[in-house]
Amino acid sequence: MSDVTTDKLVLAVPSKGRLMEETAQLFARGGLKLARTGNDRGYRGELQGLPGVEVAFVSASEIADLLRKGEVHLGVTGEDLLRDLIPEAETDVEFLKALGFGHADVVVAVPDFWIDVSTMSDLEEAALLYRRRHGTRMRVATKYRTLTRMFFSGHRYGGEARSVDTVSMYRIVESLGATEGAPGAGLAELIVDITSTGSTLKANSLRVLDDGIILKSEANLVMSRRAAWTDETLALKDAVLGSLG
Amino acid sequence: MEQLADAPGTPMSSRWIEAHGRQSTIITAIFARAGFEPIAPPVIQPADLFLDLIGEDLRARTYVFTDPDGAELCLRPDLTIPATRLYLDRFGETGRPARFSYNGVVFRYQRGGGTLARPREFSQAGIESFAPDNPAQAEAEILALSAESIRAAGLRAFTFRVGDLGIFNALLDAIDMPERWRAQLSHHFWQHAAFRRQLQKLMKPEEFGRALAEPLFQAIEAARRGTIRHGDAVVALEQHLERQGLVVAGTRTLDEIAWQLEGLAADLKSPPLDPRAALLLDAYIKLATPARAAPDAIRALLKGTTIDIEPALARFEERLRLCAQEGIDMADAPFSGGFGRQFEYYTGFVFEILSPLLGEEEPLAGGGRYDRLVEAIGAPSPVTAVGSAIHTDRLLLAVRGGRP
Repeated sequence: MSDVTTDKLVLAVPSKGRLMEETAQLFARGGLKLARTGNDRGYRGELQGLPGVEVAFVSASEIADLLRKGEVHLGVTGEDLLRDLIPEAETDVEFLKALGFGHADVVVAVPDFWIDVSTMSDLEEAALLYRRRHGTRMRVATKYRTLTRMFFSGHRYGGEARSVDTVSMYRIVESLGATEGAPGAGLAELIVDITSTGSTLKANSLRVLDDGIILKSEANLVMSRRAAWTDETLALKDAVLGSLG
Repeated sequence: MEQLADAPGTPMSSRWIEAHGRQSTIITAIFARAGFEPIAPPVIQPADLFLDLIGEDLRARTYVFTDPDGAELCLRPDLTIPATRLYLDRFGETGRPARFSYNGVVFRYQRGGGTLARPREFSQAGIESFAPDNPAQAEAEILALSAESIRAAGLRAFTFRVGDLGIFNALLDAIDMPERWRAQLSHHFWQHAAFRRQLQKLMKPEEFGRALAEPLFQAIEAARRGTIRHGDAVVALEQHLERQGLVVAGTRTLDEIAWQLEGLAADLKSPPLDPRAALLLDAYIKLATPARAAPDAIRALLKGTTIDIEPALARFEERLRLCAQEGIDMADAPFSGGFGRQFEYYTGFVFEILSPLLGEEEPLAGGGRYDRLVEAIGAPSPVTAVGSAIHTDRLLLAVRGGRP
């Protein structure tokens, strides 16, 4: 709990890449400048124009973790990572605002030549036969363990309550990069991964299942319910949110 | 300050540890007296095997890791599979009877580190009987020994809960439907919502249809009717994929895909599942009645149909009789058709032993019949097996009235 001991509000933002640039532009439009303090490679910063806010530059996946533990008050990161790394998101964090950038879908994708499989229901059937033939479960390569498990067992993000097809004859193999290459390399039979244009999937001869969109994700401003909140930090939170219009 | 205390739910008092030790001595003595050989399988087990054989709930809660050699391993989340591996190792070739007992720790992830009744590491004391000469007798004996152990540990008030996947499988076999539908329904047994959904689908199979390009469709249809060989359909599929420029890669074979397509084509032509049969299966899954009344309740469901599962019902009645002989009155134990415990390896009789204090969600012991596990791990043919494990930390908690 080291970071949340003062009346400063700690805001975690992505430390690099498109997400960081877009986050900086977002605050700039609200008249606040996201700046690093100390030398340029530092991991600390401030929101110029809003004293009392301390900025932590960290990796996008780490932001979810810090929010879950309450070690930062606010964070900007993708809903995909938040939902995956915080299984019971609603109890630990509050989604304050969808930010309109960082759009990507988390999807279930299978090799394109599986012409017998276009839905989750087909997948379960194919997986049953696969188990009988190969003696093992189909492997799903993913870095999204929780999202995969929840979706395959029938949970739908965005809350359609109707009954859905579940898939249980599978197992997850963790993939920390280049997930889309796993089926071609024989490391998995299918994948759950993020896609924005679909071109990477296509290049790897993969196809999204008709009912295989797990989550339409974008960057969100998120508040930790576990952080130590004071009147001062709550007021600062409202100011940050207010600057975003 | 970093929190250094042990996970919540880890009972640490010396009084608890002593009491747990005494309880273990009592239980293992009962197992030994009954002629079960003590075994101590490794705590660290190959991950693959477990992830393939256990149900989804437990799969998500198994501690899996990679060692420096790159081997995928896990901390055993249960002792039935390690015991089964040991049986296979020693007697897989001969298939001779063997009776094992164990008393050891298992590991299952719990959110937030767990609670007293659901710790993430806990002890299981259990017995497993492989290839018994008289399976029904073995079921009754295993149940009776579990109950005797719990009583000897000092708990007077406990109840049973039973189910029988053998009756369910007999029902499936007796109802007229394509074999692949049986496999689908049997697979969905453990998830009731999915099971019902599958029943609904089978009542209108025309919705399964896939638009398949000619001439692949012709070939698949012909293979289904048997006018060409399955191998020829695979060739037609290969040509189709080549025309479409679709890359074939990975472990799933064209043979499997052609097989699935033939199945889908067959579904299109199949008469739908008889709605009365679907209602019957649904009613069976929902059936809840005292054990002694279960066979007649099932007979009542079957009245007016030609379905005959008398042998399975007779086995159930025989088991109740054998249990009574062993001194266990199961007549009033609640039976439910949909009860199969959350382990997908069970194939027949299943039971749990419950305490009033911890209730249905936290059973003190559970077990049953699992005739396909030995084969699934590598035996050349199925081996009858029945076993039970006592959650000894929960048992102690119940004995101590909930005091840590």
